[in-house]
Amino acid sequence: MIELRHITKRCGTTLALDDVSLDVRPGERLALIGENGAGKSSLMNVLYGLYQPDAGEVCFDGRAVKVKTPAEALVRGVGMVHQHFTLVPTLTVTENVVLGHEPTKGGRLDLARARREVDATCAKFGFQLDTGAVVRELSVGSQQKVEIVKALHRGVKTLILDEPTAVLTPQEADELFAVTRRLSDEGMAVVLISHKLREVLSFATRIAVLRRGKKVGERTPAETTEDELARLMISGDVPLSPQRGEDRGEGPKPIRLSLTNLSAPGLTNVSLDVRAGEILGIAGVDGNGQRELAEVVTGLRPWTSGTFTLDGRALTTWNPRLAHQSGLAHIPEDRLRRALISDLTVEENVSLGRHQSAPFAKGPFIDFTQRRTITTALLEANDVRPREPELRAGGLSGGNQQKLVVGRELDAKPKLLVVVQPTRGLDIAAVAAVREKLFAERQRGCAVLLVSLDLDEVLELSDRVLVMYAGSISGEFQKGEFDERVIGRRMLGVKDA
Amino acid sequence: MRKALPSVLSVVSAIILCFFAAALTRDFGTAVDAFLAMWWGAFGDWPKFFETGSAATILRPLGEAGTKAAILTFTGLSVAVAFRVGLFNIGAQGQLVVGALAAAVVGAKVNAPGFVHVTLCLAAAAAAGGLYALIPAVLKLKRGVHEVISTIMLNWVAISLVDNWLVIGPLKATASGDNSISGTDQILPSAELPRLLGETSRLNFGLVLALFAALGTWLFLTRFTRGFEWKAIGLSQDAARAAGIDVDRGFLEAMVLAGAFAGLGGAVLILGTELKYPATLGAPWGFDGIAMALIGQGHPLGVLAISTLFGGLRAGGTRMQLFGVHKSFPELIQGLALLLVAAKLLWERLLRKRGTP
Repeated sequence: MIELRHITKRCGTTLALDDVSLDVRPGERLALIGENGAGKSSLMNVLYGLYQPDAGEVCFDGRAVKVKTPAEALVRGVGMVHQHFTLVPTLTVTENVVLGHEPTKGGRLDLARARREVDATCAKFGFQLDTGAVVRELSVGSQQKVEIVKALHRGVKTLILDEPTAVLTPQEADELFAVTRRLSDEGMAVVLISHKLREVLSFATRIAVLRRGKKVGERTPAETTEDELARLMISGDVPLSPQRGEDRGEGPKPIRLSLTNLSAPGLTNVSLDVRAGEILGIAGVDGNGQRELAEVVTGLRPWTSGTFTLDGRALTTWNPRLAHQSGLAHIPEDRLRRALISDLTVEENVSLGRHQSAPFAKGPFIDFTQRRTITTALLEANDVRPREPELRAGGLSGGNQQKLVVGRELDAKPKLLVVVQPTRGLDIAAVAAVREKLFAERQRGCAVLLVSLDLDEVLELSDRVLVMYAGSISGEFQKGEFDERVIGRRMLGVKDA
Repeated sequence: MRKALPSVLSVVSAIILCFFAAALTRDFGTAVDAFLAMWWGAFGDWPKFFETGSAATILRPLGEAGTKAAILTFTGLSVAVAFRVGLFNIGAQGQLVVGALAAAVVGAKVNAPGFVHVTLCLAAAAAAGGLYALIPAVLKLKRGVHEVISTIMLNWVAISLVDNWLVIGPLKATASGDNSISGTDQILPSAELPRLLGETSRLNFGLVLALFAALGTWLFLTRFTRGFEWKAIGLSQDAARAAGIDVDRGFLEAMVLAGAFAGLGGAVLILGTELKYPATLGAPWGFDGIAMALIGQGHPLGVLAISTLFGGLRAGGTRMQLFGVHKSFPELIQGLALLLVAAKLLWERLLRKRGTP
């Protein structure tokens, strides 16, 4: 049994962990939930030896131990699978698993023995993996299994999984839970870091809730509900999930964006239409062409063949500037790379993209007065905190940065909106605010192309869903006939339903 | 103002460190004398002025300082404007050399009335420098050549071409009488930049030009939408491109302006003090521009201030020799200040990181 006692960890001026105590018991499935930045990962990083606590202690079977490195944690039977995998893509499964403690014969790597041993570990815990396969060629779900096998192969007794389902299809997630359930049945402790309440309730035997670095509650699934957990995670009331507006039944609206047999690096023969007043969702496992699709539509990536039609006009030249002028708005995936410049002030960022024309410019000059007026109004309307136009944009929290980007892009009253991963890394309140804005745009008659890796989000927001696999469209679903299972199979490229 | 602090502190500590270096190698008294001589030589010999009442004791040093400051300001601005879009223009020296040659040639070979002639010379120098800087910009955009590499190499191309061939070959001055002459033909009097202090000092109109250039650049970068675009490009090319800013055009424009500034620095050197393209250009003004831009933190007015200071110290440095202290101390101070500024920026970043996790 592992006890974390009164752990406090300071990061700069903020308390990442504030006197948190938590037990991890053999044979249990403990879920650690909380919003982004609540301290879930920090707490587990302390246990895994990545962080040193400023106060408090880690006890293994009642004895206080200083875990200084992940290697020491592994020796004590603690393994962790991070959100971002730590595999060498060009090595085989076996090589990855034994990396760092390879069996040798006469000073040389004994690969045959390594493979036998890894196969044995897989068999023992019920993993089906081709241990000779090169990791690069495996699906994301299989790569995650490799990570888990890597930990198990070193004989861990406590396995920490950090947001493991974020990148998986529903089928893969089910499989992961089945496997880990077996592990806990055999006496291992499994710690699941998550913010998806539904999966936590169905999987965990015990749930600990963190909020702003403090533990605010412990529950068992039987005695709690999604609602109560959400209330614990965010102090105060849970914002109502935003509602899509009523359809006004005017028949089919005009097609804003139309792609026909479009190909580009990473895309093959993509055809799709987006109508005014419609949210078209693109679902798919990361790296199947969704990003490339968004880049082509926003003018950041040229296409090689096929037609790109906007408002009935086939385009010959297309770039971000023309896109801006044609009424396209873009909420990109990586806001600090493409949407905001962190070393510019908030107001400079608000003008970015529209800086050349009135009201942000007077002839060749910057119109400082108008810029300030518009920024002040925009910060107010979108509840960006703090309301300081002169603050560095990089000084805002992630949620406020995203609200700023969304506010700026929608302020231009776009006709077509391309949104990629709009709520990644945001807290519950900010997620609700962003989704509400998207619904409002839909009602206003804007055509919305939504790309997200979070299938739940795509299903919740979209009127229609396209599934992408290996750069092509592998399925189309209308609202009302969404079936997670079928969509999940399409995401893996399985044709027959 | 707070942002200027690292630069000010760096310069002050560089001066103090160099003072101790001088005191240790010589003796304390000599060091004091030498540094005071440098100071009076830079910004006017005020004690002597109050003693004798001769204005020249102040105006001559100040004039010399201003002359050097003008050239340093231009090359400093050259590096600073390129840096604004995120490009490192190490080629100010080469651009200055071609600009200087263009000014010398137009100044000597073209006949025009005074004001027009000077303008023609300046325009030719700016054009030559600008075009020369266009080469690395185009190479970067078309072939992906890193501008640091191409600008460094083009420096040597320019120096070899001009100093080692044109000036001692086709453009060599025609000898008259027994006098052996080096460098190109003298420029015509109509091409000379007007002197500001008459016969007292070599101070010329170049300083006014530099002043306007610095002020103009500052206004352009802070008040114009195009200046804002440059800033955005320099801070994040990806975000600028996604916002519809033409990043390639920004690179071209900034490099051409950078080259033009370096070329004008060359023109001020020729039309103001040398009056011909000499056998050797003296100080490596273009390379010093890198130090001016960095210590001035890329701010046009910072560049102006730092160039004025070091222009002064350069002018006063020669007087140190009277005390047996080598005249290269100003350069030593400059190098040390640059080093400290670089370290200071690193420092600041460290402090900031600690403050906000």
